[in-house]
Amino acid sequence: MMPPSTARRLCFLSLLLLLLLLAAAASATADAAAAEEFTEELLLRPLPDRKALAHFHFRSSAPPASAAGRHHHLFPKAISQLVQKFHISELELSFTQGRWNYEQWGGYDPMSTNNAKPPGVELWAIFDLPLAEIDATWKNLTHTLSGLFCASINFLESSTAFSAPRWGFKLNEGNLRYGALPREAVCTENLTPWLKLLPCRDKAGIASLLYRPSVYKGYYHSQKLKLKSSQSLGIILDQTLTVVLQPNTVSGKQLHSTGGQLQPSWSMEHLFSKKLSGKCLVSKSSRVFVEIEKGIVDNVDKAGSDVSSNNDLFVLSTAPDRSLKELDNLEVQSSSLYEYDVNNYNSDKPLNVGITWKLPLIWSCTRAPYHASRFLMGSGNERGSIAMSFLSTGLDKQLVDSSNDCSIKAVVFQVVPWYVKVYYHSLEVFIDGNSKAISEVVDKIHVTPSEDKLLPGTMEMLLKFPCSMQLATLTLDFDKGFLHIDEYPPDANQGFDIPSALVSFPEFNSSRSYPEADPLFVSPLLENFKEDGVVKSYTEVLLVPLTTPDFSMPYNVITFTCTVLALYFGSLLNALRRRIGEEERGLKKAGILNKRGLIPLLIAKLRGQKVDPSESESTSPASLPRSKLLLKVVFVAVVAIVFHYLSNS
Amino acid sequence: MSLIPRAAPAASMAFAGRDPAVISLLKMLPLLLLLTFSSAAAPPAAASPSAVHNNNWAVLVCTSRFWFNYRHMANTLSLYRTVKRLGIPDERIILMLADDMACNPRNNYPAQVFNNENHQLNLYGDNVEVDYRGYEVTVENFLRVLTGRHESAVPRSKRLLSDEGSHILLYMTGHGGDEFLKFQDNEELQSHDLADAVKQMKEKHRFKELLIMVDTCQAATLFSQLQSPGVLAIGSSMKGENSYSHHLDSDIGVSVVDRFTFHTLAFFEKLNMYSNASLNSLFNSYDPSMLLSTAYYRMDLYKRALNEVMERYIYF
Repeated sequence: MMPPSTARRLCFLSLLLLLLLLAAAASATADAAAAEEFTEELLLRPLPDRKALAHFHFRSSAPPASAAGRHHHLFPKAISQLVQKFHISELELSFTQGRWNYEQWGGYDPMSTNNAKPPGVELWAIFDLPLAEIDATWKNLTHTLSGLFCASINFLESSTAFSAPRWGFKLNEGNLRYGALPREAVCTENLTPWLKLLPCRDKAGIASLLYRPSVYKGYYHSQKLKLKSSQSLGIILDQTLTVVLQPNTVSGKQLHSTGGQLQPSWSMEHLFSKKLSGKCLVSKSSRVFVEIEKGIVDNVDKAGSDVSSNNDLFVLSTAPDRSLKELDNLEVQSSSLYEYDVNNYNSDKPLNVGITWKLPLIWSCTRAPYHASRFLMGSGNERGSIAMSFLSTGLDKQLVDSSNDCSIKAVVFQVVPWYVKVYYHSLEVFIDGNSKAISEVVDKIHVTPSEDKLLPGTMEMLLKFPCSMQLATLTLDFDKGFLHIDEYPPDANQGFDIPSALVSFPEFNSSRSYPEADPLFVSPLLENFKEDGVVKSYTEVLLVPLTTPDFSMPYNVITFTCTVLALYFGSLLNALRRRIGEEERGLKKAGILNKRGLIPLLIAKLRGQKVDPSESESTSPASLPRSKLLLKVVFVAVVAIVFHYLSNS
Repeated sequence: MSLIPRAAPAASMAFAGRDPAVISLLKMLPLLLLLTFSSAAAPPAAASPSAVHNNNWAVLVCTSRFWFNYRHMANTLSLYRTVKRLGIPDERIILMLADDMACNPRNNYPAQVFNNENHQLNLYGDNVEVDYRGYEVTVENFLRVLTGRHESAVPRSKRLLSDEGSHILLYMTGHGGDEFLKFQDNEELQSHDLADAVKQMKEKHRFKELLIMVDTCQAATLFSQLQSPGVLAIGSSMKGENSYSHHLDSDIGVSVVDRFTFHTLAFFEKLNMYSNASLNSLFNSYDPSMLLSTAYYRMDLYKRALNEVMERYIYF
């Protein structure tokens, strides 16, 4: 038996040890949980055509599963379960309504490269699985996403809806799948679950600005979910919402004293009917940026003043906390960003960033080297052509090369549904109006031809255009197919969509780097800007009218009924009124039955007279009809050969 | 079952030499057990006495597409809003909308759907979740939802996960006629299809009580083939009658709500989660001169008195 004092001491020590262990465990879990981060950012930018762009960026990141286990306190569990179940290494899902106006809103900056998406739903995913299992996993993924985001993404499950590009979209080893639904509607029901993935939802922080009628009244809105998962870095989830709005302000319609029209002065309240009253409390950082582009900066420099938040051309309503200037290769200042830290604002002193213009100003955004557009040619319901045009926008290639070897590369990726049967051999290229041989322009081409009801037609092409070119056109012929009655959608008379084609320019890089003043913290938005991004643009969606059966019930009823009645009454009258014996005697008298030629026989039959060959009295020799027959056969053969020859030449 | 015959001789052997009355009682015990098991195993087809109402579901279906059928969407969304307001969460609601009206290019008020020309109430709100959209609203998917026979990949949010304690509200609106309901101008749901699906649901114990409300022309004919017990059906018009829209909104350009749904909503708007109204009062609120049709209800398959019913449906 131990003395009571040592027993007490032992008890005390063991208790202390236990407490220490618990504390260590708690701190370990706290460390792991603290590694989950959430940041929110908003970027506002005035656009040259009197509109404003608002770009919301939310990033959630979770550490690798092995370190943190299955508990999350900021990261949405639905996404981590999705990544684990389907072994996703990269995924991007975008819901877009409207078309990005490349002429006015730019095509060269990271915003348009990353956030200009084709209308409808676009989904692509890279899986970390053996190639044989990817199609089945893709099918399950589309169903899960359709339940998660209230959209009919499950229509991408069948093999007729998705494709597996190797290098036209993104270089991969066959584990990428791409699908798009151009006609998918995007509305509040898609935004609701998207917002529920954020820790503060739309109740606090930057997401509280999202007044739904404003967002859906815009000219373009695109919500995107991008996730990257790896064993070392865990899962990084980027949710972005890009909206182009028209500020409805009175001042915008005023004429300035100099005669020009001022750009509309707007603020967050004009755009969203709300002010920002504080950040999301669990976010690591919460910032608002106002981007003043190169075009405006150049004008300010020309006017002779310093590019600050208050200058001769414009003034920002609130003084920014910081301003960042982008430095391009030549150390010449291009665009500048004004940063506001939402931490400094709360519900008593809300943040309402705005811009007021002092002088009328016209500027333009930098565009991609070619403006790519696509359209249909031909008429009728049997065949047509898809044409793609590349119009030079005057962007000189950086390495100005006056030699003849200067060329600009363009990669074209296009998926066409099976009922538009494209003949890839009919590809023709015209450069500045002159037809060129395919081998001169097309460097590399990979085609997966469509199979009826099984596969869409995929085309990946690498083109090389001479730098001096103004306009290039590519044309492809197609035949329109027939669908089964069950395959027609309810509004079949509207037509069928061919999803947007993607045109990228691999030699042009749209990255922008801003010097980061705070070395401890990198803004995810600026990080995305700094990433190497190839300049790319999406073409229009094409609407192809196909032959449809006449679905109208009354017409079908009338046609069937009339046919049946005609057959019935015709046969009845025939049976009642026709005297066959009399007809034959009449024919014999007329001598028509004596003729033995095939054509007279046919004519006699058409006239409704019965002909009985056994009764005919033919006096002509047997050889004459045979030679006549031979002559006729030879004649037809000669005509056919001539026609074939003429049509092929 | 195999234990019982063996127990008898063992018991008799174990208690050999004890009181004969005890022995006889012990011998009776397995027999008694057998009897109780068999009575308990009797199929609880009209299981209402044994199953307790413990959850509510709503399946709201709008079957019409195109802009001029705006009012059908508004009908369904009005019911959606009411049902959510009175306590059923999104996880228990299956909302099927055949077209997109709120973000339709013809809509002057994007992301807003109104059921009244005073535009007081935005039915779309901020928090709407639509489970089946656009081309997915087909007769096949509707019957799959009711009977629960989905492909394995279909997610949980698109399934009706009800059990024998569920009360389900099934609301359908669109264009209909004698014994059919038109889906998307393309196909039809017939009264025997619906009756068959409900019968399957009953066999699989997927509901305790089912309330079907239909707002179409000649809605009452859709219930003519129903036979399953525990089903209550309300239709907006009888055979040979049309159901009419309530009023035209000159701003939006189309009719925004149907009469039957308008009056149903007028009744529900007066209620909140704690009110105690009964189905009887709902029926009494329908006035044929206001509806311009005769609201019909079928109660013969339903065992309880109507004045008890309402509470059970919408709230716990």
